Amino acid sequence: MDFGIQNQTDEQQQANKESSNQNVNEGNKKQSGCCAFLTVEFYTPYFNVTENDVIQRIQGTFLPLKPDFLNLIRGNPDLWGPIWINATLIFMITAIANLRQIDEEKENQSFVISYVPQATALLYIIAFGTPIVLAAVMKFLGVDLSFFQTICLYGYSMSTLLPITILCYFQNELFLWLIIVYGFANSSLFLIVNLKEELDKLQIQKKYIIIGIVVTMQLSLYLFYKLVFFSYVTE
Amino acid sequence: MDYTNQKQPQNYSQMEDLKTLDLEESVSETIMRDLRMIAYKLKYVLIPKEQEDNGKELRNWDLWGPLIFCLALAMTLSFKADSTTSSSKSDVFAIIFVLIWVGAFVVTLNAQLLGGKVSFFQSVCLLGYCVFPINIEALIIAFIGSYLPFVVKLIPVIICFAWSAYSSVGFMASLVPPHKKKLAVYPVFLFYLFLSWFSLIV
Repeated sequence: MDFGIQNQTDEQQQANKESSNQNVNEGNKKQSGCCAFLTVEFYTPYFNVTENDVIQRIQGTFLPLKPDFLNLIRGNPDLWGPIWINATLIFMITAIANLRQIDEEKENQSFVISYVPQATALLYIIAFGTPIVLAAVMKFLGVDLSFFQTICLYGYSMSTLLPITILCYFQNELFLWLIIVYGFANSSLFLIVNLKEELDKLQIQKKYIIIGIVVTMQLSLYLFYKLVFFSYVTE
Repeated sequence: MDYTNQKQPQNYSQMEDLKTLDLEESVSETIMRDLRMIAYKLKYVLIPKEQEDNGKELRNWDLWGPLIFCLALAMTLSFKADSTTSSSKSDVFAIIFVLIWVGAFVVTLNAQLLGGKVSFFQSVCLLGYCVFPINIEALIIAFIGSYLPFVVKLIPVIICFAWSAYSSVGFMASLVPPHKKKLAVYPVFLFYLFLSWFSLIV
């Protein structure tokens, strides 16, 4: 089967491995097999969006009470958004935190760069780990959760943090707390409203477990944001 | 046997003929040959006029060039680290090194997932070679950065960032279907932005 991979002596092995993997899976229509999720082909259907789609989806996250977002992603959840919104956030956190530290009078300016690994761990664990936890809990409670739709949802909910990070440049403590609380409220509402469909399959008490998990993770994300990345800058 | 007077091979296929004579030449010859290959590829990647065959030369990918530039950048930035950041030198080195390789890996994977038909290492090779302008910028800032105000430092940073991004974007954009071009190009842009920011800050 032709994958368009350049044929080169060095590449032969890689090409053969991928083609034999594909041949093994050809027998079953779905990509099954114990390690199917490790191949590139498994994830390709989730990158079926254009830049306009992505922009529309991001815009859909800013007004949480309108259920537009689910209509936008119905049948076509994407993974591009979750991955690259978080990557952009990591860069912005580092940049804005460093800009805050600039002090023209100081001789040897000292900039923090340890935010990169911290931010990476935080954002990716919350954006990808929480859907995994939710899926496990829902499975345990007896209901199936559309996994990739939830990952897509979580990834795009992070886009609330994009303007918030930029606004965190300002040094006013009260203002920072205000926008952090606003961000927390906005993204939690967004997630809960869009998970409503899935939650309706559960009984009332069990719904609160899921809502509780969602809210706790969002709270920890925003608190971490405020207390670690953009904490009080001493004069 | 002395090969210094022979005409220098212009591409990889000519190199193949000389391969059998490898064991008999001096170490300096071997190293100089590899360095010349790296220099050749560097000129090819960074100077747009040299590309007449739409990136076919990149099929002879190698990872030596990217490794050299990555190490050079990480070392430049970590030498300065003690005086300008609150992290230790080894932290800076580790972050830059991981950032370059993981970044190149993820950007290439992204292009593949968007439906681009490219060999993985070819793309990593290209991204690695395009780190060279960031290297130049890091050296400039390392040597004369402390005498310049922040705003003046931005000028070489922006120029080198634009140079890196422009060199690699052409190749990347040609790989994916047209309606997904920006989705493949944005990560490249973010990658070089990140590296430029580090060379400015550290």
